[in-house]
Amino acid sequence: MSTAAEPTTSPRPAAPAVIRSEWIKVRSVRASLISLVCIVAVTLTVTLLVFPTVGQAEADNPGADLLFNAFYALNFAQIAAICFGATAVSSEYRDGALRVSLSAVPRRGLLYASKMTVIGALGIAAGILTAYASFAVGQAFMGEYAIGLDEPGALRACTGGGIYLGLMALFAAGVTVLLRSGAGTLGLLIPFTLIVSFVIGDMSSTAADLLPDRAGQVVLYQDAPSGIGPWQGLGISALWALAAVLAGWWAFRRRDA
Amino acid sequence: MTSIHVQDLTKDYGARRAVDGLTFTVRPGQVTGFLGPNGAGKSTTMRMVLGTDTPTSGTATVGDLDYRSIPEPLRVVGALLDAGAAHGSRTARNHLLALATANRIPAARVDEVLEEAGLAEVARHRVRTYSLGMRQRLGIAAALLGDPQVVMLDEPSNGLDPEGIIWIRELLRRLAAEGRTVLVSSHLMNETATFADQLVVLGRGRLLADTPMRDFIDAHSNPRVRVRALESSRLEAALTRAGHPTERADDGRLLVEGVRAEQVGAIAAREGVPVLELADQEGSLEKAYCALTADDAEFAARPATAGRREART
Repeated sequence: MSTAAEPTTSPRPAAPAVIRSEWIKVRSVRASLISLVCIVAVTLTVTLLVFPTVGQAEADNPGADLLFNAFYALNFAQIAAICFGATAVSSEYRDGALRVSLSAVPRRGLLYASKMTVIGALGIAAGILTAYASFAVGQAFMGEYAIGLDEPGALRACTGGGIYLGLMALFAAGVTVLLRSGAGTLGLLIPFTLIVSFVIGDMSSTAADLLPDRAGQVVLYQDAPSGIGPWQGLGISALWALAAVLAGWWAFRRRDA
Repeated sequence: MTSIHVQDLTKDYGARRAVDGLTFTVRPGQVTGFLGPNGAGKSTTMRMVLGTDTPTSGTATVGDLDYRSIPEPLRVVGALLDAGAAHGSRTARNHLLALATANRIPAARVDEVLEEAGLAEVARHRVRTYSLGMRQRLGIAAALLGDPQVVMLDEPSNGLDPEGIIWIRELLRRLAAEGRTVLVSSHLMNETATFADQLVVLGRGRLLADTPMRDFIDAHSNPRVRVRALESSRLEAALTRAGHPTERADDGRLLVEGVRAEQVGAIAAREGVPVLELADQEGSLEKAYCALTADDAEFAARPATAGRREART
């Protein structure tokens, strides 16, 4: 019992240490690390399966938005992003793990903000990597229909699509704190995103356009299908994520661990 | 010197009062045993000291500080609340590294406590491969991480093998000898008797006793003498005449309640009965504890309910 330092007397900024601690927690739990890697891996796999086979045929459809089609695989990335946000939080809600975390960082605001910062930063980083990589890989198979980053809106769509994935991870993280259950979050959000995207599909109603995934995905279009602009749409997703994170905080700050 | 101060502490869970107006102080330099049946409020009290649960009223502080206001608290207080709390998917080393990093404790210290807890060999194995005893050791390693002045352990002997129980006993004695404040909850009386100096006893959330262990045992046990004599029936008759009912043990010895050895010796001498063996029987912590809590109807009549509550809270 010798090498540990003396208790600190002068308060040093605590956030960097807690953020590093949260990063260790994320990377040391297999489920959250794998879902983070899956954001990139699943997207590239789907891109490699779909674009060489049906990519050019889809592009031939009348009224096809070549830019939006380039991000077909992001549908799968968003599920991985939701899993990442949910599992990164839900590891705290098993067997009193949160009590151990709070015993190291009893200031709940600091712990919560650090955790959300790590989830958001990793989600956006993995998202941007995913968006650019899948765009580049997909277009390599598009032949005469191929578009480049110089295509109008392409840079915006790649960057915005990456941010969108990070926002979905944060949205799931906030909901998981509220529900205290990763399984509950996945059971709620995955059917939700799948139903909204695939069942409601092209049906355009104002309410559906304001849902977090529909609104955010507007950033992927060359010509926005609804009246909402690309950054406006992403802003709506950001508001959803913010609302979920704040709702999580409201529950987190008061509840006994 | 850092003490744990609990002052008028009360905690309600819905309609149930888990902790009820509790006041006590845990002082440095000794091991304080925290006793009580399941559901008595021991774990709840510890959680309020750590600030993970908020008291309904009253305060629980460490060295006059609210735990939540300590900047890097693992350097001041080390706690084991639940051995199952380490995520099964993490390695022991990563579990401790995340805690250490948050309090800017050097990574070298992680390896040091793993070594001390006897987990160095399996430090890079996932916690889900650990036995209950190994998880318990990991929880204790986490408590020692910040070389804290205050150590608070909830049922540390759970699941430990005999070697582990001896290890924890010696560790607790050493921590106290180093001048640290040590609070250890348990429902195992015989085990607690081997390491505690001071006792804090709870029953249904209320303080039943806060005394040195020796005093506690003396106050709650009847003196009892064990005697073996050549003509034991003659001695038995004499003792009964003197108002000391006897009981014959299986091995032929007599057990006499409510007297000291010197009284029995005097009676035997007066009767001229040759005594082969005569000794005061030490009161045990277990007996003293049972005598104290026997009055409490809930423990005697509804132990199953109490057990369920502990699991929930």
